[in-house]
Amino acid sequence: MMRLLGFAAFLAAALLQVTWAPGLAIWGAYPNLVLLMMVVITWRNGARAGMFWACWGGVLLDLTGPGPIGPHALALLAGAYVSGFWTRNVDKGSLSQPVLATAASTVLYSLILIGSDDTLGLPVPPLGLAFQLTFAASIYNAALMLPLLLVLGRAVPLRRQPA
Amino acid sequence: MLLLSMVTQQPWASGARGYAKGAIEPMEAGMMAVAARVGAWTSVLGDISSLRTQNQHLQDENASLRKQIAELSAAGLDNQALRQALDFQRSYGHTMVAAAVVGRGPDSFSLTVAIDRGTADGVRPGMVVASGAGLVGRVREAGPHVSIVQTLADPQSRVSAFLSKSGLQGTVIGGPGSLEMQIDPRFGIAPAVGEWVITNGVGGGYPRGLVVAQVAAVNHNDAATVDEAVLAWVNDTTSLSVVLVITDFTPS
Repeated sequence: MMRLLGFAAFLAAALLQVTWAPGLAIWGAYPNLVLLMMVVITWRNGARAGMFWACWGGVLLDLTGPGPIGPHALALLAGAYVSGFWTRNVDKGSLSQPVLATAASTVLYSLILIGSDDTLGLPVPPLGLAFQLTFAASIYNAALMLPLLLVLGRAVPLRRQPA
Repeated sequence: MLLLSMVTQQPWASGARGYAKGAIEPMEAGMMAVAARVGAWTSVLGDISSLRTQNQHLQDENASLRKQIAELSAAGLDNQALRQALDFQRSYGHTMVAAAVVGRGPDSFSLTVAIDRGTADGVRPGMVVASGAGLVGRVREAGPHVSIVQTLADPQSRVSAFLSKSGLQGTVIGGPGSLEMQIDPRFGIAPAVGEWVITNGVGGGYPRGLVVAQVAAVNHNDAATVDEAVLAWVNDTTSLSVVLVITDFTPS
């Protein structure tokens, strides 16, 4: 049942991301709701759960965007891995750590997305602009992480990581 | 995932990919409708809704008038014989398919919009997309019932255009903040703020005569080989709701 709710929640997040979120753009970047949800789940349930939902969320983003299916999923997987690595090595009770993990995940997500697009021969933005958008997106997502963690954190049950 | 990307990128997989993307389209359209309703509902407070509607009408009317001015200005540049030779129909009498915007790109690197028309409606990749105000972009990929349009705001967009008063030619370059134009300088002629930027048809990528933007600022550098202008695009990806796909123009 929780998994079904998770699928629906990620679907809703992906749809919000491609319909509402672009209206909230600042410096050309807008919030990545799927990435934010993925970080919250990774933070609370571990890297394995985060990577599972990263796959599903990424495929949904790929289905709503141009180009082949896979680059967003690959980029989110990398983001989930970084978040998971971060989670294992810092105090889970801290509120600043998920914010930093979100910023790091966004940077890696953006770099992997641009890299995979380049590898596949798809058009990529100029390097300077790509860095500017990546920086803006990482700040934006990090700023949104704290309130989201407080709201969504209550809905997702905390699972203890094995020592 | 990279392997999946490579497989789904193949031409023979485009059909399945189109159908998969089409499956999401009704939900995107539903969410856009909800977004519009929620926006309208919240704006009812304090009569904001009526003011917004009135403002929208005035903006549409203003955009239409500005377009007429720009087209008349462009017409002044071409003499009658040349216009006949170029075939007026090619510039202004295109067959179009109206489409609703059902979604936008999932990331800020590729500023695209999804529309609810596809190959079943005669839409093909490469077709030019416009709105009542002017040029929007080009169809990047088309599924049976949904297509993805690369807008001019996409950093990869390039459009060959000219300025309505000075007649200077150049290339419009996309960007998330604002469009830029690299203007080929001509001795004794300077670009001016307020001039309209109109497609010139050079290269065959876009039909001649479509309004693109208005010059907002001009940066001249004596050491540079081109002048640069910051443009105010006539469209906005965040507020686009209906677009027109030009179906009878084939880009070369």
